[in-house]
Amino acid sequence: MSLLHPRPQSGSSGYAPVLRVTDLRKSYGGIRALDGVSLTVEAGKIHALVGENGAGKSTLIKILTGAIMRDSGTILLHGKPYLPGSPAQAKAAGVQCVYQELNMFLDLSIAENVTIERFPRRPLGMVDFAEMRAQAIRALSAVGLDDMDPDLPVRKLGIAHKQLIEIARALSKKSDILILDEPTATLTDREVQKLAEILMRLRSQGLSILFVSHHLEEVFRICDQVTVFRNGETVASERIADVTPELVVRHMVGRTLQAATVAPRPKAPYETEVLAVADLKTTAHAKPTGISFSLKEGEVLGLAGLVGAGRTEVLRAIFGADRRRGGTIRIDGAEVRIDSPSDAIRLGMAFVTEDRKGEGLILPMSIKENLGLVDFVSASRLGLLNKSAEASQADTARDKLSIKLGRTSDAVSSLSGGNQQKVVLGKWLTVRPRILLLDEPTRGVDVGAKAEIYEILRGLAAEGTSILVVSSELPELMTLCDRIMVLSNHQISGELNRDAFSEEALLKLAYGQNQEVEVKTT
Amino acid sequence: MSTEGLKSGAAIAQGRLLLRKMGVGIALLVLMVLFSLSSEHFLTQGNLTNILTQITINLTLAVGLTFVILIGGIDLSVGSVLALAAVVAGMVISNPNLPAGLAITLAIGVGMLVGLVCGLLNGALSALWGLPSFIITLGMLNIARGAALEVTDAKAIYSFPEGFAYVGSIIFFGVPLLFVVALVLVLLAWFVLSQTVFGRMIYAIGNNEEAVRLAGHSVFRYKLGAFAVCGLCAGIASLIYMARLGIASPIAGVAFELDAIAAVIIGGTSLAGGKGSVIGTFFGACIIGVLANGLILLGLSDFVRQIITGLVIVLAVVLDHFRSRISQAA
Repeated sequence: MSLLHPRPQSGSSGYAPVLRVTDLRKSYGGIRALDGVSLTVEAGKIHALVGENGAGKSTLIKILTGAIMRDSGTILLHGKPYLPGSPAQAKAAGVQCVYQELNMFLDLSIAENVTIERFPRRPLGMVDFAEMRAQAIRALSAVGLDDMDPDLPVRKLGIAHKQLIEIARALSKKSDILILDEPTATLTDREVQKLAEILMRLRSQGLSILFVSHHLEEVFRICDQVTVFRNGETVASERIADVTPELVVRHMVGRTLQAATVAPRPKAPYETEVLAVADLKTTAHAKPTGISFSLKEGEVLGLAGLVGAGRTEVLRAIFGADRRRGGTIRIDGAEVRIDSPSDAIRLGMAFVTEDRKGEGLILPMSIKENLGLVDFVSASRLGLLNKSAEASQADTARDKLSIKLGRTSDAVSSLSGGNQQKVVLGKWLTVRPRILLLDEPTRGVDVGAKAEIYEILRGLAAEGTSILVVSSELPELMTLCDRIMVLSNHQISGELNRDAFSEEALLKLAYGQNQEVEVKTT
Repeated sequence: MSTEGLKSGAAIAQGRLLLRKMGVGIALLVLMVLFSLSSEHFLTQGNLTNILTQITINLTLAVGLTFVILIGGIDLSVGSVLALAAVVAGMVISNPNLPAGLAITLAIGVGMLVGLVCGLLNGALSALWGLPSFIITLGMLNIARGAALEVTDAKAIYSFPEGFAYVGSIIFFGVPLLFVVALVLVLLAWFVLSQTVFGRMIYAIGNNEEAVRLAGHSVFRYKLGAFAVCGLCAGIASLIYMARLGIASPIAGVAFELDAIAAVIIGGTSLAGGKGSVIGTFFGACIIGVLANGLILLGLSDFVRQIITGLVIVLAVVLDHFRSRISQAA
């Protein structure tokens, strides 16, 4: 590896391609995750990968690190075909990766973590601890941690240091390419600055770095090149000097999408405030200021933002599913106490979570049992189940939501994704919620069922239900909502009314580029 | 697909479900036929009565354990709790200052109460902080056993009132009264699990605790309930033990939890929770009892019996594993 065992610089040009990817394709079932990805990574350059959630960045990384196999396309590493069949092969070829979710052994020492993949050995299979420490010290100094004690358990380190240790571990093997998947998502500004300095130093030593980031400002500060992903394709691959942040955002969105998606929606005057959240702080992120907003009767409020911006955490905190670090919640003007989901439900809330199978449904149980999961009161008496009431409850939900099913006694796992989602909705509608919290309400749902779910939600809003919806699909939010609030890094970065909706404006806010966007308040 | 095709598909699914539910019962039947063919003593009234007597305590413990295992927990303490409940009840019942009727009534109440309290402690400690019930009940296994030995100074209690021991010897038409008690418990548990909100929540929690919590229900309360039922059953089992043997010993019930867990598992209840039934547990306890009895009739040693019982446990889980893989593939 070049850092620990420096090797001669690759000539004055420094433009030799280390990695060349051409027309890479990968499908999962019918879904095309990669649909023509091409990019060239040069030696000694930091190369940014940007794009919306699900644009294909992660799939590319998985192929490069040997986690999955490509369907077609060529990858050349140092000019030779590169097709890793396993993560071990990728590492041996010199492609190292630090994932967003750190994989560390918290109770082992730094030295053990750094050398875990290949402990230095002595005869009889004993570990050579002196050599281990020496290797760890070399690896630590490569990432600028010269004065770090290698015997410290990793648990005692902050997130930024853990990340640097992971990078040190990656670099302690032969590395030509270092892939960093959203390394800055959990770092503070100062830590990001420090990481940037280290990356630049590594670059000057000839390492190529692939850098996935959701923060354009960082990309422009740190990187030399940028490749933009959209819908599984690479739509642009440019030198940073040749582009502007505006241009990159435009590439991410794609011009054609903007106009078509905003369907007209009758605008009602929303007056009665139902829910008011003030200075809400979730446990996920320690920011000095919390999140404040209000939701009116019959209004559909969208919550946009990138993965990790804190959208789900806001919903869970309001619903009492997770603890809050602070903030007040008012319903109809009166402050309420919500410590658990049952408190929230009593106050008229319902919460459709993003994880339908893990949190929404009880898969082995029947459709009618799932539909009756929230509202026992009307399907039981004195603790005894009233099975005919349960069945008629299920029939009502089936008719109201047009769930396509055989019998309500069939297992809910036999339904399609869209119909399963309708069952989740139906279970909540049995208690007639006034405030409906939705997290990715159409994830894994086909187009037809999606339209039906939109119709159901519009109907609910028209009846006066207030809806707060989180979605990663901007067209979905633009179709459903009266107003969209954008979260960036656990803070509200802006808010748009329906007449100002555009994917470009929303993405700018999501990427924290809010200076020139007009912020409207209601 | 035509509606006819759909119907026959549903019929096949129904048939498969029935087979799945009846599988343990069929296994028991096969076992009984095999033993009756190989030993002329097996199918005599005296022997069958004997089997029923022998499985009564295990069945009672297993009924309670079914609740705990259905929520994805385990209770290792039932054997020790049985002993503690027995000696406490034994101290009451053998008190010479109390009239016999009152002593018996009080002892029954006290025995059940001790079991219930132990179960509530198990449940509260494991459910409140989400601690593994394996560890909590392993602790209770030692605590209850130690307490039973301590309060009795490691001596067994005899000298019960006449009437109490008599109850243990009543047999109607070859069916011991104590077995009827256990059978009533089975039916009661079946009713609770299939017909009440509490039962529904037991299954729901075993399958997906988080979904239940987010649906606004107190997971803690239902988990506590499941452990309480299990403790109560151990208390009832202690009374059955005393009535049958006329003794309350602090070393009663050692390793009883293992046979009870085996009955639940052979009965098709998943250790991961959420799947199974108390009817299955009933057949599971019968299979263990029939095996023990039949193998001895065949002249095999108790050691061989242990080996075969162990094999049956493993076989039950392996079969269940493949059965659920097949039903997932279908």
